[in-house]
Amino acid sequence: MKCFQCGCELSDKDFCTGCGADVKLYKKIMHVANRFYNDGLNKAGVRDLSGAIVSLRQALKFNKNHVEARNLLGLVYFEMGETVAALSEWVISKNIRSQKNIADDYINEVQSNPARLETINQTVKKYNQALSYCYTESNDLAIIQLKKVVSLNPRFVKAHQLLALLYMNGEEWEKAQRTLKKSLKIDVNNTTTLRYLKEVEFMLEGDETAGIKKKKSNVSKDAVTYQSGNETIIQPISPKEPIVGASTIFNVVIGMAIGLAVCYFLIVPARVQSARAEADEQLRLISENSDEKTAQITDLEQRVEALTDENAKLQEQVVSYTGEGGALQTVDGLLETARKYIHNPEELDGVSDDLYELDRGYVENGASEAYKALYDELLAQVGDKIADDCFKEGNSLKNQGDYSDAIELLEKAWYFKNTDAEILYVLAETYQESENMNKALELYNQLITDFPDSEYADMAQQNIADAATVGNRGGGENNENDPGQTGGDDDRTNGGLNGGNNTTAGANNGNNP
Amino acid sequence: MINFEEELKKYHPSLEIDEAEDAIYNQDLTDMADLLVNMIKDAKDAEN
Repeated sequence: MKCFQCGCELSDKDFCTGCGADVKLYKKIMHVANRFYNDGLNKAGVRDLSGAIVSLRQALKFNKNHVEARNLLGLVYFEMGETVAALSEWVISKNIRSQKNIADDYINEVQSNPARLETINQTVKKYNQALSYCYTESNDLAIIQLKKVVSLNPRFVKAHQLLALLYMNGEEWEKAQRTLKKSLKIDVNNTTTLRYLKEVEFMLEGDETAGIKKKKSNVSKDAVTYQSGNETIIQPISPKEPIVGASTIFNVVIGMAIGLAVCYFLIVPARVQSARAEADEQLRLISENSDEKTAQITDLEQRVEALTDENAKLQEQVVSYTGEGGALQTVDGLLETARKYIHNPEELDGVSDDLYELDRGYVENGASEAYKALYDELLAQVGDKIADDCFKEGNSLKNQGDYSDAIELLEKAWYFKNTDAEILYVLAETYQESENMNKALELYNQLITDFPDSEYADMAQQNIADAATVGNRGGGENNENDPGQTGGDDDRTNGGLNGGNNTTAGANNGNNP
Repeated sequence: MINFEEELKKYHPSLEIDEAEDAIYNQDLTDMADLLVNMIKDAKDAEN
């Protein structure tokens, strides 16, 4: 301790040994300051920070140069989240004692971390902002800001207290209680915190008391009580059990919901994908089968079409065999003709008609050997006789001028006996006389070709020449446009031919046995 | 029963770092020792 007047070190005397000044009161003041410092130090040791602040401030009021008290005050401020106040005390302390001062370390500790310093500054700004929200009755915004503040600086006691006050104002007693208890962990004997907490606990106690009273009133209403000796027995009410059961059921339902959600989000998509892949595979197989079936159907359709065509051909063949003029009918006709001939060999009219009506082309091309043999045999038996009969009758009709019937009979005769040149010649003559010169010339030429050595061949040539001559003359007279002359020529030509015919007929008659 | 409005009046804006210098300069550092010295000085002046 130094003299306030001369600065000399004081002894245990009540005056200064250097200047003689009375230092009795001064020493008492210094002792009081030390006492407050010790008190503050003790309080800080048990985290009674607000009490420590009061004591340390008192100490500094008695002795502003008490560096330890100032440093401790700064430390307590820092612990309560009021960094600026702490820095102020440390700076003053360092100003009082620039050497060997722990405040120097504290200042360096804070200033060496700019990010932390910035965070502290932001915390202070947010706290001030929250306070301004409170003044403007924007309590919700203030609560939000204060929550941020206490999350950034959990040791900011004033922020905790203000937040608790806001919760209390909003009658959120439990939140206020939690906040205040956090605050109490920092500053265990803060008067404001304890006052708030008392209020909060009082309010919570009131709620609990009301709840208990309510429960008690329910018990008193519903419980059955009876006296057993000196004891009053209250029968417990059972309906508490269902509350546990309901909770269990509720938990089970939640568990099932979670399980279903897991199934829906994890298992079902995998199953769906698997099922989709399986369906795609099946679709592919079905598509392949479909293509194969389509190819088979096309093949079968082509086969059906081919078989239908074949069936139609076979039907035609069947018709050709069994239908009108078919082979079967032809065979039947030949058999019937043979039967008629065997039954009555003298009656040839029916046999000749039947044979004549047979298809000669079928006999020559499509008929079986047996058929041909029967046909040839039958023709050999009756052919000449029928031909002779027809020739005689046809020649007779020709002479009578019935050329159409004559031609029919002569054709029939030629059919049955096509080796007789006379029949062919008479047939040609009949055509000529019936004024069918083309057919007549055709038959004359056939006669000349087939029977060149026959006398009828010469006669046929003569008739052809005569016909050509008459044709030329008729053409020249026609050019002179004299109808009467032309008519005379026609008569003469016809007469000549007829005369020739008559000669031929005479010759025929001569040849005819 | 705590009055919110009255309690709110007890809260004051906290000092920001920019304001620390002003706070240090404006701090009243007069202590009992200063008062004693002044009183003794005044008393001597009165005697003279």
